Amino acid sequence: MKRIFDSQLIGPFAAMVIVALVVALTTDRFLNPGNLSNLSLQVSIVALIAIGSTIVIFAAGIDLSSGSMVALLTMILAQLLKFAGLPLTVAIPLILLAGAVLGLVLGLITSYGRIPSFITTLAALIAFRGIALTFNNGSPIFSLDPNLEPLFYGKFLGVPLPFYYLVIFYALASFMMNFTKLGREIYAVGGNPAAAVLTGINVRKVQALTFLIAGFMTAVGAILMSARLNSGSPNYGQTLELQAIAAAVVGGASLAGGRGNILATLMGAMTIVIVQNGLNLNAAPSSVQNIVLGGIILLAVGIDMWRAEISILLAKIFGRSASSSAGGKAATVKEQ
Amino acid sequence: MKQGNTPLWEFVDVSKAYPGVLANDKVCISLLEGSIHGLLGENGCGKSTLIKTLSGVQQPDSGKIYYKGKASQISSPQDARDKGIATVFQEFSIVPTLSVAENIFLGNMPVTRLGVIDWTTVQSRAAAVLAEMEVDIDPEAITGNLSVGEQQLVEIAKAVAMDARMIILDEPTAALGEEEIEQLHGLLRTMRSKGTSILYVSHRLDEVERIVDEVTIMRSGRVVRASGETEINVTEIVSAMVGEDISEHYPKEHNATEEVVLAVQGLKTKNGVTDATFDLHRGEVLGLGGVLGSGRTEIARALFGVDRLTAGQVHLNGQLLTVRNEMDAIKAGLALVPENRKYDGLFFNFRASGNITAASLDEISRLGVLDLGSESEGTKRLIRELEISLQAEQKTVNFLSGGNQQKIVIARWLFSDAEVLIFDEPTQGIDIGAKIAVYRLINALTRAGKSILLISSDHDELLAMSDRIAVVQHGSVTRVVPASELNHDDLVRASAATAEHPATEEIQ
Repeated sequence: MKRIFDSQLIGPFAAMVIVALVVALTTDRFLNPGNLSNLSLQVSIVALIAIGSTIVIFAAGIDLSSGSMVALLTMILAQLLKFAGLPLTVAIPLILLAGAVLGLVLGLITSYGRIPSFITTLAALIAFRGIALTFNNGSPIFSLDPNLEPLFYGKFLGVPLPFYYLVIFYALASFMMNFTKLGREIYAVGGNPAAAVLTGINVRKVQALTFLIAGFMTAVGAILMSARLNSGSPNYGQTLELQAIAAAVVGGASLAGGRGNILATLMGAMTIVIVQNGLNLNAAPSSVQNIVLGGIILLAVGIDMWRAEISILLAKIFGRSASSSAGGKAATVKEQ
Repeated sequence: MKQGNTPLWEFVDVSKAYPGVLANDKVCISLLEGSIHGLLGENGCGKSTLIKTLSGVQQPDSGKIYYKGKASQISSPQDARDKGIATVFQEFSIVPTLSVAENIFLGNMPVTRLGVIDWTTVQSRAAAVLAEMEVDIDPEAITGNLSVGEQQLVEIAKAVAMDARMIILDEPTAALGEEEIEQLHGLLRTMRSKGTSILYVSHRLDEVERIVDEVTIMRSGRVVRASGETEINVTEIVSAMVGEDISEHYPKEHNATEEVVLAVQGLKTKNGVTDATFDLHRGEVLGLGGVLGSGRTEIARALFGVDRLTAGQVHLNGQLLTVRNEMDAIKAGLALVPENRKYDGLFFNFRASGNITAASLDEISRLGVLDLGSESEGTKRLIRELEISLQAEQKTVNFLSGGNQQKIVIARWLFSDAEVLIFDEPTQGIDIGAKIAVYRLINALTRAGKSILLISSDHDELLAMSDRIAVVQHGSVTRVVPASELNHDDLVRASAATAEHPATEEIQ
């Protein structure tokens, strides 16, 4: 039904390469190994969380809770390590479990409680940060565990560990979406929930599971966030949920559900981080960074929406040779 | 055909090409005042292109357009409206949350000198329009609360309110029941008598026979029969449309056995099923006859676990069936091909394969991992057997014609090996060639020992393709008779009986 590397990857991949080229040409520091390694560290947390956000979007839901959930989970992790004195090998599985359970609860409220996911997770976005503030009188907790930082800054065979996390989790997610029953059901529920019900798919269960996955991936991101800063804080993860959704959208996932390729989300996240990196290297203020990020999101969705017009334009400019392939694409967009 | 009328609109040698296809090839059509003109043809024959030209959505590449004998043009949808052309599209363009009056004047609201909507005029003129149409609808009612048929009438009221002299109706009865169709036809006759010209596009040939004065038939972009050349009878029309002699419009095979597969007893739900009792035999097609709203679809929903039973029992192969939801029904071997394949049947984000295997993911997976090889093998086999377009393998199903889409929905249940299939309006909105393909599919299924519950508003189809018919009135099955013992009139009379004397009246 789907191939892992399908045509849906071409656009996001091209966007990533173009952005990288532009940044590489405008600054000489972009391609130095230190910066590239820093880049993979920077992208890792948002890209891992975006796996969950994207899968929720595939099932026609939306997850706004991840940023606050990161804050809450870093506080719980800090609490467990510093005050409860638990070893990392116990605390980390507990945090992963906590993330999955929180996600599942949001999923159950959404699917069985019939409250739209936008509302459920908006409420969670607000409430989770509130809960995070109840720990340690709302103050950050520092110096958690000497073995925590290496999880983020450590290297294996000279390559930063977060790079391996990305490879492993994206491989798993891609396998799930393309080769498993659950992946197929997620696309089906997002594509047409009414038809999914009539074909015997347990729509509510599938929806709830997407949020469980999102909660789990948020926990992975939260652990890396704590490791990066060796601390927990109720202020961590601000707007992280929006960056994760932006990565999915720039990667071409349809917010209407049912369409998209999970690997494109990684490229979307890379594109965003490369742009931010380029602006940093060129000493642009953060105000400009935010404006540019907004522009990228609009442009990414715009290009997708206007693909028909753009290919007709290109066909006009480059003559008949382009028209056959462009016509096909134009039709694709129209029908969607 | 009425003589002596001047054509209101006349197209001469109108052509329109899209990249790679000549959609209209020197089409000539002449639309008379006070006449209902049928425009027929299979999907993709160029009907929609012609309608788009007539409603000003697009411009023809060549050819002449005459208005009352004088050369004219229709340069935009606004221009079309100004010249009295109104189009009632298949998909309704009404706003369900607004009142009937508001919908009638939407985009054209009478205003006072201050630019504020003149509600008094809106109400009184809406009432006047509805009265002129001889339609009993409250102008203040919220449109979304009306029946689909009434909504369709509101749609036409919009055209009447703008003084349209030429009304284009594209598949106006696709969503209507027999009674509502009658009401619509009554309205069209009234409008005809007042001199309005009506272009009527429909796949329901039995209707065309009933209402249309003239007929133009198109095939591959050309007019193959102009008005007056063809007798308005179904056999001739079908032959002209398909381009070959169709001797067997309904190729019915009789495969019914005496073995009872599904025994339904005293079915009752809160949703309109009051007392449904019938048996379905192996290899049989049992038709559910009755008007829209008589409870046919509700019986199907109850069997399939969509609505909960409040009383009654269902036995499948002698075993008591407990169906709490759709998943239970499918596991037991039931299948529902829903009425609205667009909204309830297809996954437009999937190709044929994903659509065909959607109800059988357990069968093609081990430990949750899909066997994509067997999926593609099974899909290829069904695409070949059902003569589905080969494009279905590569493209998502939104690119396929309605007939191909319907075959894919049915293929899903062939793949899942369902034992009892419920077909709810399986040929609605698909062209005659695809309809015959669906009939052949029904034959193939019953030959293989499957049993079919058929719901259809097309009485000819229901009578021809069913072995027996269960007449449904007010949610209960009043009697089950061999299809050969019923005729079209019996079914209409049963419908009428329902309307006039609810509860007590039996047919005949």
